[in-house]
Amino acid sequence: MKFSDFVKKGAIRANLQSTTKEAVINELVDSLLESGEIAADQRDDIIAAIMKREELGSTGIGRGVAVPHTKHPSVSELVGTVGVSEAGVDFDSLDGERVQLFFLLISPPERPGDHLRALENISRQLRDESFCRFLKQSKSADDIQQLLQEADDNQFAAG
Amino acid sequence: MASVETGILITGILLLLGIVSSKFSARLGVPVLVFFLLVGMLAGSEGIGGIEFENYTLAHAIGTLALSLILFDGGLRTPFHTIRSAWKPAGMLATWGVLITAMITGLAAAWFLEFSLAEGLLLGSIVGSTDAAVVFTVLRGGGVNIRRRLAETLEVESGSNDPMAIFLTVGLIQVLSGAVPFGFGLLNLFVSQIAFGALAGVAVGVAGVWMLQQIRLETAGLYPVMATALGFLSFGTAAALGGSGFLAVYLTGIVIGNRRPVFFRGILLFHDAAAWICQILMFIALGLLSFPSRLLDVAPQALAISAVLIFVARPVAVFLCAAPFQFAFRELVFMSWVGLKGAVPITLATFPMLAGLPGAAVIFDTVFFVVLVSALVQGWSLPAVARYLRLVVPARQPPPVTLEISSLRNVEADIVEYFVDDASRAAGCMVKDLALPAGVVVGLIVRAEQIIPPQGRTRIESGDHVIVVLRPQVRPMVDRVFRMGLQIESTNLPTALEFPLRGSITVGEVERFYDLNLNGPPEETLDELMRDRLDKERVELADSVRFEEIELFVREVSETGTIDYVGMVILPAATASPAEDATSDSPAGDGP
Repeated sequence: MKFSDFVKKGAIRANLQSTTKEAVINELVDSLLESGEIAADQRDDIIAAIMKREELGSTGIGRGVAVPHTKHPSVSELVGTVGVSEAGVDFDSLDGERVQLFFLLISPPERPGDHLRALENISRQLRDESFCRFLKQSKSADDIQQLLQEADDNQFAAG
Repeated sequence: MASVETGILITGILLLLGIVSSKFSARLGVPVLVFFLLVGMLAGSEGIGGIEFENYTLAHAIGTLALSLILFDGGLRTPFHTIRSAWKPAGMLATWGVLITAMITGLAAAWFLEFSLAEGLLLGSIVGSTDAAVVFTVLRGGGVNIRRRLAETLEVESGSNDPMAIFLTVGLIQVLSGAVPFGFGLLNLFVSQIAFGALAGVAVGVAGVWMLQQIRLETAGLYPVMATALGFLSFGTAAALGGSGFLAVYLTGIVIGNRRPVFFRGILLFHDAAAWICQILMFIALGLLSFPSRLLDVAPQALAISAVLIFVARPVAVFLCAAPFQFAFRELVFMSWVGLKGAVPITLATFPMLAGLPGAAVIFDTVFFVVLVSALVQGWSLPAVARYLRLVVPARQPPPVTLEISSLRNVEADIVEYFVDDASRAAGCMVKDLALPAGVVVGLIVRAEQIIPPQGRTRIESGDHVIVVLRPQVRPMVDRVFRMGLQIESTNLPTALEFPLRGSITVGEVERFYDLNLNGPPEETLDELMRDRLDKERVELADSVRFEEIELFVREVSETGTIDYVGMVILPAATASPAEDATSDSPAGDGP
């Protein structure tokens, strides 16, 4: 599974404005809505599902990265987006650090394997410190897109 | 009034009794202040001591002095990062939280004591703040280890909420005695309390740090005295300007403490002792001041007010003020329970006495009773409540103790003591093999009662205390060599990123969410499943259980041995079916 398989170009956000956990999730979901990946009437339900997952344990996985994710029946394929916040957001991560880099993922219930594989891909690629750092420093959606492409081409962590 | 000699004798005896009673407190788990108050009450005019003490002016003076030193000491020990992570929720609680608590308790007090609304609110304001001395003792000194952000929020809140309570109390007294009209004048008073308090506190702190560094005193003993003097200066300056002295002295402590001035360890030790003397004397004086027989008269009303304060006012305040800051429900419940009252309310309760308000005696007795109830009920049960709410995290590695070189100049070297345990990377290594940066010397190894002069071929063992001389700049690198390998490795050099999951969620939830098969009953919790699979007396951090597509690691263990948090690592598809696991089917989904 590659980033290009699920990260939707039009939804990438290089300068997130939100300062709280709930707001940043809203902002990321809205980016998918604006690029036409999800239906407007499903927005609130999707956000609720993501928040519900956060109750199991924050998806702030440390080192300034969070991967909020959920399954939702309204999508027919894996859709995801990437967002960067310059100031960082308190995401309740276990290490207490503010989160600057977000991967948000919504997967359809009927493709069980994809969900896990996409999460595995994200967590494997983020092991590379420079990939992580470059993403956090990105100033535009194009920069992020290009970094993801390079990661897909195995220029960072070995697959 | 007795002679000075008798006064000194009595003070000595009372201090000793206070110290002895702290032993009981540790054994019984009751906050020390209860014992100090009891000593005071027993020594008082209605107790066996028969000491006549009804000087509210003196009690108020002792209380104010003691509080300022306790807050100064608390500030010295509060690192900046604590404030950075906690000031938002703590600030809300320290202002709006106090106001809400005071209003609800005040309404209840007006109702139960048949007071006027303003008198009721005065009583509510007096008991509105959470006590810093008690919270610091409970969270830092004893027994309760909770998540860092939660502890920091409570500490910063209790350190900074007294100005609000004091302001409300002073403001209402002025309204009741007709000095200030309700409304704009009151707001003005509040703003100047905060603004001048903060200004004086920070200004004296910054100037003080500079002075401590420049002055080059010849005698070490004068450094702590100079720090104390700065604290007083800050308090006095703020008060003279019409600001809050308590806020100022706390801020000055924070500024000085974070700059690590010369002879800082001496300064800390001195103020630790000073804070203890203050606590004991203050509580005993307040105990002396009370009349147990009068306390019984107000008991029913005071109990009712305590109940409202503990079960309604504080929880409402916490849930309204801290809810936007992403605390879990049980953390909010815990914060509600840490509404511990202490010396501030009793000291504040002397204010109406001094102002000569008509209901002052009843207010003093009621407040005294409420503080006793709060300290006994909440203070005593705090560790149990933390455990019940599953908020207890394992105690941190005993932090390496810095033995400061007692130099009167700012010498560029630290002597640091590290405790080596199994998780430490240094365990089992020879000294010459340690990856120490240049200019770092291992000075001494202490093994049990033995002192081992280190040589290159000396092997460091788990359980050793290693004393290292180093320059402060390289300290983080040396920390990495000696401190627990695990925590540092998991944050800085991850082999795989982990998703944290609470131990209390069920196998079914995880299976449904990630379409996994964990081979366990769906209603079982992850905590139960993990402990079941690990099958050992006591699970340890970093223990792991491997499943078909994921591996779960133990990340936080409670005091009772249950698993609070696990870390989930998703295994790459290629290695997801390990050879030794014969039962695993090939995982669904496509490979990378």
